[in-house]
Amino acid sequence: MIDGLDPVIHAPKRLAAMAVLANATTVTFKFLKDYLGVADSDLSKHMSALEAAGYVATTKSGHGRGATTTYRMTKTGQQAYTTHRDALRNLLDGPQ
Amino acid sequence: MESDAGEQLRIIERAEAAPYVSYPKTAWWYPPVVGAWVAGMIGTFTWWRENSALFFASLAILLALELGFLNWMQRRHGAMPFPGRGRPPREIGRLWKGYFLTLPVIVLVVAAVWWLGGVPVAAGTGFVLVTAGIWYYERRYAIAAAKVRERLG
Repeated sequence: MIDGLDPVIHAPKRLAAMAVLANATTVTFKFLKDYLGVADSDLSKHMSALEAAGYVATTKSGHGRGATTTYRMTKTGQQAYTTHRDALRNLLDGPQ
Repeated sequence: MESDAGEQLRIIERAEAAPYVSYPKTAWWYPPVVGAWVAGMIGTFTWWRENSALFFASLAILLALELGFLNWMQRRHGAMPFPGRGRPPREIGRLWKGYFLTLPVIVLVVAAVWWLGGVPVAAGTGFVLVTAGIWYYERRYAIAAAKVRERLG
């Protein structure tokens, strides 16, 4: 793996999820699911991996049909995302 | 590796723009409601010296309404962008810059009207300026968001 590229973020769906999270206060499960065009179970799997790495924090509110799951990026996640993004940019353009 | 990096950066660019350009249609009542809220905020100052209990109670109610509204908006939107965080697409960034430059001008105009005409006139002016300003901003935002969607495909 090239220096700065993060294997946890490298998968396209996780990378896209991190990019969305980096630009929003919080993001709902539904928004991510619609944007990524994935099944519930697939999204849950990706978000669990990001949560296990400490990149994402999850909040669940309500019960039954009104229940909402929201995600927000942690400081560690923000740092990892920025580093990954910069590494990609350096790979294409050379160090800034 | 370069083509992989290029593809990843395209994914990033589209996904970073998503919170700014994927949002439910703005309701027609949004601008006048925000205008009424601002007018209400100014209006509470009628009781500033006369009745401090009523003044603080009105402020508390208006702030609670604002918090509830923001919470509802955030859940409705799904991914609410927050100024100062992230990287807005350049079309939206330009619009935000204009928004934040206009805001102090509106505050100064309302303050001048307040000084010259008193609280009720300032509240009325605040309602008109904020309603018109938000309505105009929302129209411009929809156009900018459409341009971003078109650019990113």
